[in-house]
Amino acid sequence: MDSSEKELIANLKSAKYREKAFQLLVKTYQERLYWHIRKIVMNHDDTDDILQNVYIKVWKNVDGFREDSTLFTWLFRIATNESLSFLQKQRRHAVLSMNEVSDYLTDSLESDVYFDGDEIQKKLQLAIIQLPEKQRIVFNMKYFDEIKYEEMSEILKTSVGALKASFHFAVKKIEEYLDEDHK
Amino acid sequence: MKEKDENIENLFGKLKNGQPFRVPEGYFETFAERLQARIEEEEQPHKKRSLFFYLKPALSMAASIALVMLLVYLPIKKFFPANQSYVTQQKSTIDSIDKISVLPVPDELFSYFSEGQFVSAVADMKTIDSETLSPDSLGDYIAANYSDFDIIANN
Repeated sequence: MDSSEKELIANLKSAKYREKAFQLLVKTYQERLYWHIRKIVMNHDDTDDILQNVYIKVWKNVDGFREDSTLFTWLFRIATNESLSFLQKQRRHAVLSMNEVSDYLTDSLESDVYFDGDEIQKKLQLAIIQLPEKQRIVFNMKYFDEIKYEEMSEILKTSVGALKASFHFAVKKIEEYLDEDHK
Repeated sequence: MKEKDENIENLFGKLKNGQPFRVPEGYFETFAERLQARIEEEEQPHKKRSLFFYLKPALSMAASIALVMLLVYLPIKKFFPANQSYVTQQKSTIDSIDKISVLPVPDELFSYFSEGQFVSAVADMKTIDSETLSPDSLGDYIAANYSDFDIIANN
């Protein structure tokens, strides 16, 4: 943790500087968190709701932040958990199975007016949607966000070995999906 | 096999480089502002509601009913002061009968009139004030309204 981050955390915990420090925190991480969430839930409106919820949780619980991880790790952990909770809620409301969650995400992607991809990009996204939730998150974090396994391990509270295996299986499944689609 | 791998490699490359998602215009520029508004909204203390707040609908309804009753009752009372309702008339008749029944009635009256004649005579006296009714006036009334023939025929 560098000195600027330490200062930011100290300001977040001080009543006097809290508001300004929070604004800085929002500006610094909003885009990265947004795209992380968006790749999990696909739809812009859902992403917007979840991102706001993430920052509200941070605002309410910043005094309890133990500083045994970086702000980035802490924020990504909250964002991942919020996104997974959102999908669980969708599953509970609609009594969806795992396969039906991917149907829900496919519908979300197809109805999202903020998706500009061409047919090939859409197929690639659909391939990722077919993955189990955890594999999908690992694949996105590794492939798009280029987060190191060690950092990912802290965020997802999973061993590096398990993450590597998840990524490997995810790549295989995507390849198989695309291969079948090309036949 | 090599060609297949290259195809997939190309697709992965396209996936990684081309971001197919976008956000509404100005989304990130206005996000902090919208977030701040939502935080302020959530932090506003919920006002404690008084007992009056919960009773307000019932009180409003009671006041409306009272107002309607008043608006109906006052014109009726103003324009038809002597016109009593049927229920009031019946009540005053019953009251009169009750009052009459406790008046002392001379025994000799029963030797002249049947019970049916007496009751119908009393029922006809709706407008007679019970306070002014004496045994003599009751006898006078029956003598004036019933002939000897009526009395004999009914006996």
